[in-house]
Amino acid sequence: MAWGTFVQRLFGNIGNKGSAVLAKDRLQVVVMYDRLGLSAQQLEALRKDIMETISRHVAIDSERVKIDFLPTPAAVTITAPVRRLRTRGEAQKQQAS
Amino acid sequence: MSGRAIVITSGKGGVGKTTATANLGLGLARHDRKVVLVDGDIGLRNLDIIMGLENRIVYHLVDVVRGRCQVRQALVKDKRFPHLALMPASQVDQKEAISPEQMRELVAQLKEEFDFVLIDCPAGIEQGFRNAVAGADEAIVITTPDVSPVRDADRVIGLLQNSMGDPQLIINRMAIEMVQRGDMLDQQDVLDILAVHLLGIVPEDDEVIVAGNRGAPVVLNDKSRSGQAYGRIVRRILGEDVPIPELNGRGGFLHRLGKLFSRR
Repeated sequence: MAWGTFVQRLFGNIGNKGSAVLAKDRLQVVVMYDRLGLSAQQLEALRKDIMETISRHVAIDSERVKIDFLPTPAAVTITAPVRRLRTRGEAQKQQAS
Repeated sequence: MSGRAIVITSGKGGVGKTTATANLGLGLARHDRKVVLVDGDIGLRNLDIIMGLENRIVYHLVDVVRGRCQVRQALVKDKRFPHLALMPASQVDQKEAISPEQMRELVAQLKEEFDFVLIDCPAGIEQGFRNAVAGADEAIVITTPDVSPVRDADRVIGLLQNSMGDPQLIINRMAIEMVQRGDMLDQQDVLDILAVHLLGIVPEDDEVIVAGNRGAPVVLNDKSRSGQAYGRIVRRILGEDVPIPELNGRGGFLHRLGKLFSRR
């Protein structure tokens, strides 16, 4: 065995991320969608509902709201970047209207 | 007597269902179990040619279901192994020629006479799949470590879980060198995605093609890596505790350590 190969075996290709990592990441996403059986429209509806709900309490950057589905343990995560926290007064006014 | 009916399935075509069915069947027969292989791929029969029995077919599965012959008349005995028989598929009919109910009856009948009824499922998840699965008590899902077969395997696992509980998994055609290079999913990657019990791993091996050419499945070749792998899987099916050899080998020690720390 060549010295280079030996070192590579020992260290197991540190730093050289092969395509397997990419395959696994892509599969995890696609399999999660397959399992949920959600259509693009249903997903968009979910996104809209969540955005509306959060917007009632916090000013969020609606352009950057992201929904992710994680495998084991299965979870839906929503990332909604906050533009600025509303003051208590503003929030009360909104609720009253 | 009531045998075990096991369907071998995958969703994706070309990943090795028929080859696996032939090898598991022969392996079980070598352990003195009475085995019948049922070719569930009506219209595209292949188990006969893989087994080297293509010249001995008189009647087939659809003939039996239609009452054109007795079960015994359709079974092709393997002269090399008196414990092994093949129920060939029809080459002229469509998948719709039989119903899941008829398949269930046939398999129940076969279970009375054989220890193992192995059903080779066609690709896809339509009628042919529903027929092949109908009579089975257990399922083995075959995949290769590529993106599309793994995705399809996940679909099939979902469908099987609805009807008969968790299937077991065989990962076929694992190329150790590619795994070491980081260019092929290893066993843990596949299990992380599919989350089922691993029955075994069959390494990529040219001998499988040679075996197909000869009509003598690779499990008969004790020197071949894939034949040995099938031999171990057979013993696991029979309840022996046979460890799965570490084929993934992506990790040198330090790589594993690195992976441990880089976990999210």
